[in-house]
Amino acid sequence: MTEHKLMDPAGARDLYLPEMAEIVAVKDLTDQEKLYEIVLPEGRELGHKPGQFVAVSMFGAGEAPFSVSSSPTRLGSFELGVRKVGMLTEMMHRLVPGEKVGIRGPFGNGFDMEALRGKDLLIIAGGIGLVPMRSLINYAIDRRDDFGRLIICYGSHSDAELLFNDERKLWDQDPRIEHHVTVDVGSDEWTGNTGVITTLIPRLELDLSRTVACVCGPPVMYRYVQLALRSKGLPEKEIFMSLERRMKCGVGKCGHCQINNTFVCTEGPVYNGLELKSLQEAL
Amino acid sequence: MALKPRIGIFDFTGCEGCELNHLNFEDQLLDILEHVEIVEWREAMDGRADELDIAFVEGSLSTPDCIERIHEIRRKSKVLVAVGACAVLGGINAMKNIRPIEEVREEVYGKDKYLFPTLPALPLSAVVEVDHSIRGCPMTQLEFLKVFTSLVMGKQPVQEDYAVCVECKLKENECVVEKGMICLGPVTRAGCDAHCPTFGQMCIGCRGLVTDPRLEAMEEILVAQGLSMDEARKKLQMFNANQLEGVTS
Amino acid sequence: MTAMMLDNDRVVDFVTHLQENKPVYAPHAKGRSSFVFDQVEKPDDVVLDYPRTLHSIKKFFLPPQDDLLDFNLVENSFTEPELKPFDAVFLGVHSYDLHAVMRLDYVYSQGNPERNYLARRQGAVFVGVSFTPDKHHFSGSVGIGTNDTTGFDVFLHIVDDGYAVEALTEAGTDLLQGFDMPVYEGALPASAHFEQHIYVPQGKLLDVFDHGYHSVVWSDEAAHCTGCGTCNLICPTCSCFNVEDHVDVTVTHGTRTRSWDSCMLRGFGEVAGGEVFRENLADRQRHRVYRKFKYISDETGEPWCVGCGRCTMNCTAGISIVNIVNRLVNEYDKSRAAV
Ligand SMILES: Cc1cc2nc3c(=O)[nH]c(=O)nc-3n(C[C@H](O)[C@H](O)[C@H](O)COP(=O)(O)OP(=O)(O)OC[C@H]3O[C@@H](n4cnc5c(N)ncnc54)[C@H](O)[C@@H]3O)c2cc1C
Ligand code: SF4
Ligand code: SF4
Ligand code: FES
Repeated sequence: MTEHKLMDPAGARDLYLPEMAEIVAVKDLTDQEKLYEIVLPEGRELGHKPGQFVAVSMFGAGEAPFSVSSSPTRLGSFELGVRKVGMLTEMMHRLVPGEKVGIRGPFGNGFDMEALRGKDLLIIAGGIGLVPMRSLINYAIDRRDDFGRLIICYGSHSDAELLFNDERKLWDQDPRIEHHVTVDVGSDEWTGNTGVITTLIPRLELDLSRTVACVCGPPVMYRYVQLALRSKGLPEKEIFMSLERRMKCGVGKCGHCQINNTFVCTEGPVYNGLELKSLQEAL
Repeated sequence: MALKPRIGIFDFTGCEGCELNHLNFEDQLLDILEHVEIVEWREAMDGRADELDIAFVEGSLSTPDCIERIHEIRRKSKVLVAVGACAVLGGINAMKNIRPIEEVREEVYGKDKYLFPTLPALPLSAVVEVDHSIRGCPMTQLEFLKVFTSLVMGKQPVQEDYAVCVECKLKENECVVEKGMICLGPVTRAGCDAHCPTFGQMCIGCRGLVTDPRLEAMEEILVAQGLSMDEARKKLQMFNANQLEGVTS
Repeated sequence: MTAMMLDNDRVVDFVTHLQENKPVYAPHAKGRSSFVFDQVEKPDDVVLDYPRTLHSIKKFFLPPQDDLLDFNLVENSFTEPELKPFDAVFLGVHSYDLHAVMRLDYVYSQGNPERNYLARRQGAVFVGVSFTPDKHHFSGSVGIGTNDTTGFDVFLHIVDDGYAVEALTEAGTDLLQGFDMPVYEGALPASAHFEQHIYVPQGKLLDVFDHGYHSVVWSDEAAHCTGCGTCNLICPTCSCFNVEDHVDVTVTHGTRTRSWDSCMLRGFGEVAGGEVFRENLADRQRHRVYRKFKYISDETGEPWCVGCGRCTMNCTAGISIVNIVNRLVNEYDKSRAAV
C-alpha cells in the first residue's frame, strides 16, 4: 500500500456525538405511528434535503435512523414519523413534549432537488414510505411553481393504517395535486381503491419526457413498482428509490448498510434505477 | 421511577444453581432492591402474591404439577422471564427426552416408577408464553443484571444471537480447537462472554443454538476432529435436545 | 543508510533501551502456541521470532470494545471519553500488519474522517521485524514481502545470529540514539520464500473478481462454514463495528460502546421486523471476500487483504481464503480458454 499522510485529528469531526434536541409536539398518526416535532438547540435549522435521515439517540436504548418527514421549506423545527417495532421505537413512543433526544445528522444523499426542478413528480409511497415522501411532497407544494405535475400514489395495507389523513384531505382538495390511494384490504367503510400499489400505475397518464418517479416503501415493493413503471415506458434513470438497511453509524464507517460497493448511509439511501441495476444485492 | 416493579422468583426442576446465583449478588443486591420489591420467593421468604410485574422462573417442567403451577405464574405475571438453561431449553434434563420415557422412569425410580408421574423435561416456552430468557447453565450474573436493568428501564432486553466465537475472538483468547479440543462455540449463542473457553475449557453449548445454526457444518468439524457422527450428535443434543426435536424454536 | 548489527544476546538490552522514552508494545507468548501484542513489562518476555499474533496491532487504534460516550440517565446528558494518542513504540511488527494499519488509516481518513481513530493513531513509532512465512502466510502474493519496510521507522532484518537494524525515519534514528551497535557488514537479505500463493498477478485480480460474482465457489464454501464470524474478527483490515448502549446496575449511568462486528453473522444485516439482508451464507462469504479484493480495491487499486493468513488459520471449518481466490482464478482462466 502506498503510504499516505495520516490526517490530523484536529481536522476530523466528532462523528458519534449527538446534539440534545427538544421534542416540542407529539401526535398520534395511528396506534403504531407517532409524529414528533423536534427543535435543535438555539432553534438552529437541521438544514436537510428531502430524503435525508437523522440518527435518533435515546441513552440506554441506543440509536436508530429515521427519515426526516418535514420539508426544509418549513423552518424552525423538523418532524419524524416513527413506527413502533422494537426496542428503541417502543421507548420513543413513551416520550412526551419537553423531553429531549439526541440527534445526529442529517445523513445520506437525499433527493437532488435541483435535478427535479421543472419535472413532473410521480411520488409512490407504500406504507410508512409516506413518512419520508411527505418531505418531498411538502417541498413541492411550498415551491409549487418550480415543478410540473405533482402525482401522489399512496398504498397502505388497510384503511386503518393510512397516515396523515388530515394533510391528505388537503391534497385531495388541491387542484394542482393528483392524489391516488389504494389499500390491500379495505374495511367495510372503505369506498376507495383496493389492491396493491402497482394497480394504480397502469391508469396514470404520464408525459414521459418530463416525469420523474420517487419511490419509497417496503423492500418487496420496489421490484414490482419498477416493473410497472418500466412497462409504462419510464426510463430507469428517472426512477428514484429510497432504500433501507440496518445502520449503526450513518457516516460510512460501521459497514452495516453496505450493499456491494455502496454505503446506503452516505451514498444513498436514494438511488436511481440505473444505479441499482449494478447493485446486485440491492433489491 | 414511580412504583417499584413487584417481583417473584420461582423454581421448577433443576439444580437450583441459577437461583442460588441470585444470592451471590451481595455487591449488587442493594442496587437491585433500590429498583424493585421482591414479593414472592420460596427460598428466602414465605407467602404468595396475587399479582406480579415480573416473574423470574428457573427450572424445566417435568411433572403435571409443574404445568399447573407455571400456568398460574403466567396468569398473575405481566412479564415472565425464563432463567437458566433448564427453563429456557429444558436443560440437561431434556437429555432424557431422546430416550423412551418409560426407560428413564425405570432407571431413575426402579420399580417405584408408577408412584412418580413424569413428563419429558420441557422448557417453559413449550407450555406458556415466555417474554425474555436469561440463558446459561448456570446463568451468569452479568446477564441477569443486563436483563434486569433493561426491564427496570422499560426496555426490551437484547438477546445475543451470534456465536460464542465472537466473544472469544474479541477477548483475544487462544481458540481451544487450536489446543486440540472440540468446541461447540461456532453454533452456540453468545452472551456468557465466552466464559468456558476463556478458562481453557470447551464450550458445551449450555446457552442453546443461534438462530439458523449450521449444524451440518458443525458436525463435519467434529467428525474431522475424530468423533463419530453419533458422538457429534450427542454433543449437540446435550443442551439442545428440545430445540433439535422441534419442541422449541 | 547503513544497517547496524544487533546480536541475539543484546535483544533484551535493546528492548530496555527502547523503553526509556515511551512504553513499548511487543509480541508475547500466550496459551499453547499463540502470541499477542502486549505492553512490555519484562524485556525477557518479548518474542521477536513468531509466526503471527492473534490480533493485529489494529486493536490499539480500533479497540475490540471502544466507548463512544458515557451517558447519564438521570440528567439525560453525556460526556465524551478522553481520546488519548497511543504514543508508544510498537516493536516486532510484521510488514503485513503495518500495511493493514495503513489501510485502516485510509478508511478512517477518507469520507467522514473519524477523530476517535485518528487521535489514537498519533505518536506511534513502528519497529518492524522480518518473518519466516509458515504454511498460512501469503502476503508475498499481494505485494508485501517479509522485509517490506514501508511505513516503519526502524526495521530488524533477521540475519545469522541476530538482526540487521535499519533506521528509516528521523524518529527511527532518534530511537536508536544512545544504543551502540556495530555496522552490519553483509548485504540485507531478500524477502523469504512463501509456501502459500494466490496464483494471479495484481492487475488480473480485478478481472477475476468481476467474473466471479456468480461462481459456485460461494455456495461450495458456505456449505462447510458455520457462520461464526471468526474470519472477520481476527482480520487486520476488517473495520466494521456494532454499537450498543450498556446500562450499569444503578440504572443511572451507562456507556455507548462500539465493538468489532462481522458481516459473516446473520444479524449483521437484520432489521426490525426480522428481515435479513444477505440471509444466505454464500452471499455473506462473497461479501467478505469482495470486501478484501474488489469493492474498496476498485477505488484504491490495492487488495484489502494483506495475506496474513489469520482467517484461514483460525477457521475451524478449514475454509481458506487462498483456496477461494485460487478457485476463482481457475474458473476465470477456464472461461477465458473457452472463448
Ligand atoms: C434510512 C432509513 C430511514 C428510516 N426511516 C424511518 C422512518 O421515517 N420511520 C420509521 O418508523 N422507521 C424508519 N426506519 C426504520 C427504523 O430505523 C427502524 O424501525 C428502527 O431502527 C427500529 O429500531 P428498534 O430499536 O425499535 O428495533 P429493534 O429491532 O429492537 O432494533 C435494534 C437496532 O437494530 C437496528 N435496526 C433495526 N432495524 C433497522 C432498520 N430498519 N434500519 C436500520 N437499522 C435498524 C437499529 O440500530 C436498532 O436500534 C428507517 C430506516 C432507515 C435505514
Ligand atoms: S471462520 Fe470459517 S466457519 Fe467461521 S464464519 Fe469464517 S469461514 Fe465460516
Ligand atoms: S482476509 Fe484473511 S488473510 Fe487477508 S488480511 Fe484478512 S485475515 Fe489476513
Ligand atoms: S450505517 Fe454505518 S456504514 Fe452506513
